[in-house]
Amino acid sequence: MASKTDSGVAKPRLYWMGGLLLLWFCAICLRLVYLQIFAYGEFQVRAHHQQQRAFETSPIRGVIYDRNGQSLAMTTQVESFYAVSSDLPDPANTASLLGRITGTDPRELLACLKTKNFCWVARKTDPEIADRIRSMNLRGVYSQKESKRFYPKKELAAQVLGYVGMDDEGLSGIERSFEKKLRGKPGRMALSVDAHRKTFARVEQEPESGENIVLTIDEKIQYIADRELDRAMQETHSIAGTVIVQNPRTGEILALANSPTFNPNATRAISPEKLKNHAVSDVYEPGSTFKVITLAAGLEEKVTHPDELIDCQMGSIVVAGMRIHDAHPHGILSVAEVLAQSSQVGAIKIALRLGEDRLYKYIRAFGIGQQTGIELPGETRGLSKPVSRWSKVSIGAISMGQEIGISPVQLTGIVSTMANDGVWVAPRIVATTTEPRQAPHTFVYQPAAERRVISPLTAAQMRLMLEGVVLHGTGKRAALEGYTSGGKTGTAQRVDPATHAYSKTKYVASFAGFAPLNNPAITVAVILDSPVGLHQGGQVSAPVFSRVAQQVLAYMNVPRDIEVPASRQLLMAAKKAAKPNDEELADAAPDHLGAPLDLAGAEGGDAVPNTATLAQNAKPSPASSMISEIAQLIPAAIRTREAPVANTPVRTSSNSARVTPSGNQSVVRQSAAALSPQSSSKPASGTVVFDVEQGGIPVPSFIGKQLRTAVELAEESNLEIEAVGSGVAWDQSPAAGSHVAAGTRITVRFER
Amino acid sequence: MARFVSFRDFDWQLLFLVLLICSLGVVEIHSATLHSKFAGAHIRQIYWIVGGLVCMFALSAINYHVLLERVHWMYIASVASLISVFLFGQKYLGARRWIKLPGGQHFQPSEWVKLILILAVAKYFSEIRTKDLSWEDFIKAGAMVGVPMLMVLAQPDLGTSLTYIPVAAMALFLGGLRLRQALIVLVVATALLPIAWHKLKPYQKERLTSFLSPEADRQGSGYQVNQSLIAVGSGGIWGSSTQGSQTHYGYLPVPQTDFIFAAWSEERGFVGALFLLLLYFMLLMRLIQNAQTAPDRAGAFIVMGVVAVLAFHILVNVGMVVGFMPVTGIPLPLMSYGGSSVLFMFLALGIVMNVRMRRFVN
Repeated sequence: MASKTDSGVAKPRLYWMGGLLLLWFCAICLRLVYLQIFAYGEFQVRAHHQQQRAFETSPIRGVIYDRNGQSLAMTTQVESFYAVSSDLPDPANTASLLGRITGTDPRELLACLKTKNFCWVARKTDPEIADRIRSMNLRGVYSQKESKRFYPKKELAAQVLGYVGMDDEGLSGIERSFEKKLRGKPGRMALSVDAHRKTFARVEQEPESGENIVLTIDEKIQYIADRELDRAMQETHSIAGTVIVQNPRTGEILALANSPTFNPNATRAISPEKLKNHAVSDVYEPGSTFKVITLAAGLEEKVTHPDELIDCQMGSIVVAGMRIHDAHPHGILSVAEVLAQSSQVGAIKIALRLGEDRLYKYIRAFGIGQQTGIELPGETRGLSKPVSRWSKVSIGAISMGQEIGISPVQLTGIVSTMANDGVWVAPRIVATTTEPRQAPHTFVYQPAAERRVISPLTAAQMRLMLEGVVLHGTGKRAALEGYTSGGKTGTAQRVDPATHAYSKTKYVASFAGFAPLNNPAITVAVILDSPVGLHQGGQVSAPVFSRVAQQVLAYMNVPRDIEVPASRQLLMAAKKAAKPNDEELADAAPDHLGAPLDLAGAEGGDAVPNTATLAQNAKPSPASSMISEIAQLIPAAIRTREAPVANTPVRTSSNSARVTPSGNQSVVRQSAAALSPQSSSKPASGTVVFDVEQGGIPVPSFIGKQLRTAVELAEESNLEIEAVGSGVAWDQSPAAGSHVAAGTRITVRFER
Repeated sequence: MARFVSFRDFDWQLLFLVLLICSLGVVEIHSATLHSKFAGAHIRQIYWIVGGLVCMFALSAINYHVLLERVHWMYIASVASLISVFLFGQKYLGARRWIKLPGGQHFQPSEWVKLILILAVAKYFSEIRTKDLSWEDFIKAGAMVGVPMLMVLAQPDLGTSLTYIPVAAMALFLGGLRLRQALIVLVVATALLPIAWHKLKPYQKERLTSFLSPEADRQGSGYQVNQSLIAVGSGGIWGSSTQGSQTHYGYLPVPQTDFIFAAWSEERGFVGALFLLLLYFMLLMRLIQNAQTAPDRAGAFIVMGVVAVLAFHILVNVGMVVGFMPVTGIPLPLMSYGGSSVLFMFLALGIVMNVRMRRFVN
């Protein structure tokens, strides 16, 4: 018999109870050990999984500016609306209401709402539609900010800028090649979700906006190039075309126009051929423009000189058993005339004197066969086979631009080398990148890669010979009014891809040139693919060069260096009076581009003086004003010819009288200053308006001044100063009293 | 009979344990309801505890023998109250469990019936002096508990009706249930089980089985067990302190009542859970010791009846939280929020104190 308590309850049974309880507690404890210690991680993950949602928040994509701070591509915040079905009191009613506003089929929306809990109602809506949806205050309809890429200038420089996809990823152009910088870093959002699907958002990491990109493109110059290319495309019915405007000194691309083009705002309508940036990705046989290399190499290697007479054998030569003909038979021509008349025979003869190796050396030196390094995707290297793979005929073919392939931007480089005193500068289209969300107030140009290809003397000789092309050669239609210019025409037969033979009907007509002759401000290359009817470079491309260069030089406020003939001036004045908007500087004014968003106020104020200028230009009697101009300006013109950088020997050309004619007071934009790399200290937005007389800034005298005083004086006069030596200024170039473009660099020599 | 009753003989140690557990409960209720519509429940819980203490002291002042003498009236009254629930009860979520009192309060008779059953069973067995349990006594005691149990089951309130079983089981066990009898009961129960199972409604079946495979239906019947396991598991060793996200984000169902142990385990971790279990274990051991020192057989049965109910609640509730047991809606005594539960516990403790205070009396 078991022991009993006082109350007569069996003690063992109580112990049994206690034991059972202990057992149970042990079981629970073991279970807790498993749950909380061994399976802790797994449960932690499961808890996190159901409570936490993390998602990326997209950063704001960087802005692409032109060199003057005009936005070419920007990101705006737009609203998107979505509906959560479970929150909707009456889906059918909501769907029909929304359908009425957004113009979409309410049945579609309703179908989505019935099958899914989350439906987009309207994505990236216009602000007014967003306002209307918001004002309805619908239950279960929520809005979310999304970013949308916006190209305010539409087609302008479309191939350069490129475009973005649905998720703002760059798909072509700068948008693609600078994707990493533009995109920025996505932020992270942590969302805690409670059991009732209520969310508590917490920003874990703010998104970092992308960097801004400043292009070397000048919106107005680009506009000129675009418009003139368009016009040429219409007139010549070409398949495609390219116009490149470059600053030969710095390699900066000021404009890069392609046709056909597209509107990057409407990405759906983009076809591959419209996307193609012909300027950098096309390889074509340059034809006669390539003779520039042949002749420059000949001069540099001193196998000939400009005045040497060459027998062009009445337009026929035999190279390695193959007869090559000229378009027009020529007899004996000077080397200068060989270029001017574009004689194949002459070029071949010079190439033969050079020999294969030397010719190839120069071809490579001018950058053919390698990428120029321009910051655009899809750049071609061009086609240039090494000498070892040349046939016997090759030297003849290559000397006149066949059996070789270059891109338009490489062609621009060749001509710019002539303009830049023989130094090849790598083309660039991106000036700089700036901190996110900051307008490019000031920025520093990095020095471009450059190399000397030919001596300054050879370059100067080449420039004069190239002027000859315009003055009395194949490129007469490239002539400018008021400016000297040089360039070379080219008409290459296209290789028919079907037959691999030269096409009889398809040509690539090109012209590449620069102006003004002795202190070139711009290089312009024009390439038209398969023009119908007239197809010679000198016939169809040279006029485009002329129109583009004429407007760009005026826009850049480059002083004129030759007199416009009196008869011509009368004509121009008459044209202006009749049709003030035609072909003149004012055309390039920004009014036509649509007011830029960020600088709208400044632009508005600017528009008035522009119109005033037109009126003034039209008024004064041309005859009387002309006489005073000539009297006044001859000395200034001469000084201009001796102007900056050109410390090369200059041969006076046949143009006897070079006069900067514009005596009119004109209102000019400061943008000309922004074009020179030295202008970095000034705001590059290009909206400062000031009056300039006599087509430029009078250079003050720095003589006798200390360095600091000189710098201050230069700054006041909107000029750049290049100080040589130290102490007191004793010499300066250009001389005091001459007129130069704003921002021109004045070399001042100091001595103790 | 010399009657010298003093609060000096009150079990202060037991009271300390009880109040410690209660205050931990209040803390956890505060934390669990912080962001919910029940915010402030911990204050009401404190009122209930204070009220419970008053009731406990009051009840301990009345000699339990006086209560036992009138227990048949109480039993009749409790059965009547269960009938009245049938007649006038408030239907809420498909179950008729509450009677609306004029004051706007809801009264759940099934809770206090438990207390009466403890007394009634104790009274019945105190009068049996045989060593072994006869079948007659077995059936009578069984019927005594079975009638109100079936009535509660019909409300339907499976959880509460189940809490009546330990009262009977404990009494039978202590009353001298033989092994053979126990086996026969088990066999009969097993035989009856399929019939009972058949009678259950589908949702009840699901609740009873879902704990076996909580993964099977995470969003449905397994939801509560699943969320409870996640809460306990993600507590780790030291707990997630105030960031008990399962609790605060409302994933854990009723964290202030049935799943308060899960909430506690999440926020205080393994260490906290172990500490709480230890307190409960000490509480039960203390009660069993009180039963040993009880002045008479009736007293011992009363105390062990309380132990049975308390232990059953703890075991089932904690078992439910850690996934050993089905979800039956049984609260954790002293911790869980709720007036009826708190009052019952303090009344039960009042009787235990009552017994203890009179241990030297005869």
